[in-house]
Amino acid sequence: MGDRKIILKSNGLNLGYKKQGESIIIAEDIDFELKKGALTCLLGPNGVGKSTLIKTIMGQLPALQGSVILDDSPLGDYSQKELSKRIAVVLTDKVSLGNVTVYQLVSLGRIPHTTWLGSMSSMDHTKVEKAIEVTHIRYLKDKVLSELSDGQLQKVMIARALAQDGEILILDEPTAHLDLINRFEIMHLLRKIAKEENKAVLVVTHDLEIAIDTADEFWLMQCGLPLECAAPEDLIVSGKINLLLPSGTLKFNPITGKIQDSTPYDYPIIQGDVKLTNWLKLIIRKNSLVFDEDLQVISILENPFLIKVKGEKKEQNYNSFKAFLEDLS
Amino acid sequence: MKNKPNYFLLFCVGIISCIVVFLVNLSIGSVKIPVSEIGLSFFGNEFSRKSWEIIVFGYRIPKAFTAVLAGITLSVSGLQMQTFFRNPLAGPFVLGISSGAGLGVALLVMAGSAFGLSFFSGGFGLWAVVFAASIGAILVLLLMSLTAWRVKDSMTLLIVGLMFGSLAGAIVSVLSYFSDANQLKVYTVWSMGSLGSTHSGQLELFFFASVLGIIPVLVFIKSYNAMLLGEAYAKSMGVNIHRLRWAMIISTGILAGSATAFCGPIAFIGIAVPHMARLIFKTGDHRILFPASALMGAIVLLICDAISQIPGSAQTLPINAVTSLVGAPMVIWLILKRNFSKEF
Repeated sequence: MGDRKIILKSNGLNLGYKKQGESIIIAEDIDFELKKGALTCLLGPNGVGKSTLIKTIMGQLPALQGSVILDDSPLGDYSQKELSKRIAVVLTDKVSLGNVTVYQLVSLGRIPHTTWLGSMSSMDHTKVEKAIEVTHIRYLKDKVLSELSDGQLQKVMIARALAQDGEILILDEPTAHLDLINRFEIMHLLRKIAKEENKAVLVVTHDLEIAIDTADEFWLMQCGLPLECAAPEDLIVSGKINLLLPSGTLKFNPITGKIQDSTPYDYPIIQGDVKLTNWLKLIIRKNSLVFDEDLQVISILENPFLIKVKGEKKEQNYNSFKAFLEDLS
Repeated sequence: MKNKPNYFLLFCVGIISCIVVFLVNLSIGSVKIPVSEIGLSFFGNEFSRKSWEIIVFGYRIPKAFTAVLAGITLSVSGLQMQTFFRNPLAGPFVLGISSGAGLGVALLVMAGSAFGLSFFSGGFGLWAVVFAASIGAILVLLLMSLTAWRVKDSMTLLIVGLMFGSLAGAIVSVLSYFSDANQLKVYTVWSMGSLGSTHSGQLELFFFASVLGIIPVLVFIKSYNAMLLGEAYAKSMGVNIHRLRWAMIISTGILAGSATAFCGPIAFIGIAVPHMARLIFKTGDHRILFPASALMGAIVLLICDAISQIPGSAQTLPINAVTSLVGAPMVIWLILKRNFSKEF
């Protein structure tokens, strides 16, 4: 385990921007601590100010009140160039460059460290090689960007940020529009980077389930509420994870680890193994299935698969959920 | 590295073709002078005819150098604009510089005579057009700088630039409508561009302006590479976007402004040559692209100038028309041959 040193923190931070002399506050009173060697996930609904928070942390937007402290000095005391050596980012901006190879793109990360002409020293090449190694993209090294898939491109962008060699890595929705496997791979890669390279990694994401699997700390952002910072497991057990679901109709199920419809529902009497009855409940609820009044019990068996709908007078058997659904709806 | 072009070889080929095209350019015209004679004359040999020496050193060499300078300045400013605005359609004139220069000349030619002034007498006439074009370009540049100071968004800057251009164009149209045929012709001829009108003193000044305008490019060459990923990434890599924007406005102002002042508006080179450089050199690295664009800009404009001599007699085709006539099919061919949208 890397040392969990706090590298970036804030207290009483007000976020927003100035428009014609008036300050428009987006989020108030934000306290956080970002630690090295940990993967932190920032979660919250769209429009709550996640991007504004990230821009403020990146030093691209001044704080309206309070300040972000990087290594004991406020962010405002650092020049853009100094910051670029500490904080590297992966943004949602679309990067479409045909003529640039993966190696060249990763090398762009060295820009803050090179001379005015941008010539790379052997140390710069070593850092680029290492970033390529860590992100497992060596096989892509000489490809041009137009040949890459979205998942590959995202790994290349992460490699570029790694090559920039800051202690802090900020990623804005790095898994958006990626397929399931790539989402898992990217988040596990980020966790590995946090642990093995001892970086403070902050990820904005909407992928709650994968975030729970990988993150050390969650920052939950919700309109009008203070930023909630805790381990995801603590948030689940205390039920605070439901801050993400303010409408009340959806709830996080601490047993399945899924978000489910929380309004009560009258099921008929169901018998069988939990693994099977859960799915039976799902199909009944999803389709609002209505049964005859004389229904006594529905039982479900695994081997051989059988759904038995038992009424007072008759008994119906189905050998698949599909047949069950077609008959009842 | 797979398919990585040999830059050294490409540049050698480029420089040799530039010299060859330069010599060919000197040899053709209303009087044909053998290339071999011109080549030898640089090593101290006498021309076999006295008149040839006057033609080559008095007229053709200044014109060829003007072509080289105009090609370099327009291509370099075009590449800057395309990278800064991340827009493949951007060119040296998107900020309204040529329109401003055109307005300056239109005012001089058409409005000037309305007040009974004639600027076309004696030695002053040679400088008057250059002066008017420069004033127009500088004025537009100042307006753009004021805008750049106020707006933060690059796309807004681009649109304001295009609007300034339209505005200047509209004023020129109004002036044209009220001017007589002679004045209109003077203006129209200017707007067709000419490489042969740089006289003694002007070429030196053009050279000086080109060097001056290229300095900001060299200072910020690394920042242009960072701009490949867009403004937000460039900022995160420590690039001062504000300073880069000023450098770009000043640099293109001087480069494209002086090219327009001395040669009139020359279309196409600034937009197309950077694309040609990207297609041939297959790189996005501006440390290669800037010199490559400069070299190719010089070659293309020398070729266009040579083609404009084709009628053979004292008549030549207007250079502004030739650059588009020759260049547009060339770019269309390059684009169809390769997957253009993936190259930018």
